Amino acid sequence: MFSLFYGLYKYVFSKTEFHVLILGIDKAGKTTLLEKLKSQYSNSEGLPPDRIVPTVGLNIGRVEASNTKLVFWDLGGQPGLRSIWEKYYEEAHAVIYVVDAACPSRFEDSKSALEKVLRHEDLQGAPLLILANKQDLADAVPAEELARYLDLKKLDERAYTFLAVSAYDGLGIKESVNWLVDVMERSKRTEMLQLRAGANLSST
Amino acid sequence: MGLVFSRLFSSLFGNKEARILVLGLDNAGKTTILYRLQMGEVVSTIPTIGFNVETVQYNNIKFQVWDLGGQTSIRPYWRCYFPNTQAIIYVVDSSDTDRLVVAKEEFHAILEEEELKGAVVLIFANKQDLPGALDDAAVTEALELHKIKNRQWAIFKTSAIKGEGLFEGLDWLSNTLKSGGG
Repeated sequence: MFSLFYGLYKYVFSKTEFHVLILGIDKAGKTTLLEKLKSQYSNSEGLPPDRIVPTVGLNIGRVEASNTKLVFWDLGGQPGLRSIWEKYYEEAHAVIYVVDAACPSRFEDSKSALEKVLRHEDLQGAPLLILANKQDLADAVPAEELARYLDLKKLDERAYTFLAVSAYDGLGIKESVNWLVDVMERSKRTEMLQLRAGANLSST
Repeated sequence: MGLVFSRLFSSLFGNKEARILVLGLDNAGKTTILYRLQMGEVVSTIPTIGFNVETVQYNNIKFQVWDLGGQTSIRPYWRCYFPNTQAIIYVVDSSDTDRLVVAKEEFHAILEEEELKGAVVLIFANKQDLPGALDDAAVTEALELHKIKNRQWAIFKTSAIKGEGLFEGLDWLSNTLKSGGG
């Protein structure tokens, strides 16, 4: 009985921890984004971009922003590795989808991978932040233009937005995190995940 | 390779004692990997408690190797080797598809260990030189790596015999430990 109340207490008063998935095809800049997030929001220095190699697994970044704890899961984007993305969907509060905005030849690949992500029922209602990355490069397209290229349908039932960022020099990172925290705190999906966590607690 | 290794790992842990466990089923290629890295002399010891641990001391990093699987009676003694472990290198024989299930079970069992909770995990999908070896995506699936959600992991295709892929994996490892680990 005590443990039940204790569990309830912890459940009500602990800081919420949000899990954010960072997805996108290879070379989009996911890990560079993660390292930038770590360097801006935690004590860790973060790896400099020239030390970053293609991800073949899972990178994790734990940071605090606006009094909430954020755990970022950065998964490898090479075609063979995309099959593991969905294994992380169930516990994700939101998704960041990173696109190399300076590489139009791969927009189609990006679009179809994203559409597959959005179709998955385990991600139902998860807020979606699409980043037009690599704005430090001269030929990067702006966020609105990327939105037109991707031409996503059926986004209505989830909160989403497009932002122009540069994971390389940090442009738009703060704005991205603010948007995420704000929508996650209000999203139905967060409520649903909390309820499920609560149910798991009382059943143990 | 020896040189590359010293460049990567020198001063990584400062003066702190660090441990990297190299684990896997028997015949996965663990010892061959250690020899390939040419870090120093591999010393084989069979302690009285009855399992064989190979150790390579490299500056302040101890690499320790033993076989998982088999005898359950000696398992409690494994724990003597857990404290201060920064990383686990898990080596799999990618061509031994019959035993991948056992490799998976042993892997997840060891990750449950309290004292290894903070260790990052590097997986070597080894023996890529053999016909029928599964690739990294297939080994990822077979080992159910997606169940790992609280620590960083990476998988690399390797051939210890040819010396391929090992450096890339260790590069990842040193980067990950430098940027704050799990």
